[in-house]
Amino acid sequence: MDRSSIYDQHLLLDCMLEMGELLLDCGAEISRVEDTLERVGKAYGANRVDVFVIPSLISITLNFPVTIPVTETRRISSTGGTDFYRLEKLNSLSRECCREPLELEELRGRLDRVAAGRKPFSVVLLGSILGGGGFAVFFGGTLWDGLAAAIFGAGICLLQYELGRTKLNTVASNLLVSLLTGLAIGMASGLIPGLHMDKIMIGDIMLMIPGLAMTNALRNMLVGNTISGTMRLAESLIWAGSLAGGFMVALAIVDKIF
Amino acid sequence: MIHIVSQLLSAFVGALGFALVFGMRKRYLFAASLGALLGWGVYMLVDALLGDVFLPSLAAAAFALTYSEMMAKALKTPATLFVIPAIIPLVPGGSLYYTMSYAVHRDIENARLFGVRTAESALAIAAGISIVLAIRELRTKRQ
Repeated sequence: MDRSSIYDQHLLLDCMLEMGELLLDCGAEISRVEDTLERVGKAYGANRVDVFVIPSLISITLNFPVTIPVTETRRISSTGGTDFYRLEKLNSLSRECCREPLELEELRGRLDRVAAGRKPFSVVLLGSILGGGGFAVFFGGTLWDGLAAAIFGAGICLLQYELGRTKLNTVASNLLVSLLTGLAIGMASGLIPGLHMDKIMIGDIMLMIPGLAMTNALRNMLVGNTISGTMRLAESLIWAGSLAGGFMVALAIVDKIF
Repeated sequence: MIHIVSQLLSAFVGALGFALVFGMRKRYLFAASLGALLGWGVYMLVDALLGDVFLPSLAAAAFALTYSEMMAKALKTPATLFVIPAIIPLVPGGSLYYTMSYAVHRDIENARLFGVRTAESALAIAAGISIVLAIRELRTKRQ
């Protein structure tokens, strides 16, 4: 393929931006995204690749021999959950590209397929049930507490799924979900004797806590991506704050009732 | 004894739940959840020897990362897949809850105590990970 043609260069850039956006959307670390894109660019014959990634923007400049450098940027609006399902596919796709560059049209098609593939909802639901229940017991709850946390975990999962479709921002949706969950757990443990409200809430807080975002943020900073690190850290502190706010309001209300 | 077993098993189940939520493929599920169980074992061991929150979290996080990199190499897949479930039990959800609960009940002293604890755990996890990363970087750069 003649990669010196303008059309091809833009197609390649488009593919790379798409790949970067998908990687960020799956929760890949910034350094991984930059590293992957640089390798792909080089594999397609660029002699210099400048990639700049922060959580809300990707900018790529490709230098090919002879022709003028091409640059494109893309604004990223997703907040990046964690999705191993697509992350793994992207990882093997980029490795394949680096071994032997795919035809650009084919690469584009494969990326579209990765973008369309979602982890099945039933698996996420099952995971929320096990996660909430498991951690309620882990933090000292009884098996009954675990069962209750599992049920509320399923509720959280459904609620988050519904809210996810409305494109509500993370702070607002965290506040809403934690408030509703806190109220529901408070009511249930007030009415059913023997349930420990604190353990059930802790189990379900674990499902929503941005502990991973925070750890990733610190990791970003430690490998030298200070901008992305501070951005993610601030973001995750705000999310944790909104989560805590919702639960605190719920706790205060439950306290007044019982 | 029962307490230890129930802690280890619930860490395993909880991590399995998270691995599912994150859409992990079936073939990695066991290895990933096992990392959480072993990591929590390390935490309890260091806790029994030295006490406190900081050092046990740090040791467990360092172990989790080492375990994940070994598994990643063996199964030829990114280490992130194993790190995240293995670290989940170390996330201070309990301390965060008690911080909020004491704050709501105007018990500022206890709220502060648990607040510091939450921050300490978070910092310890990051420190444990970065120590292992730094050592690995040193070794690869030298080669």
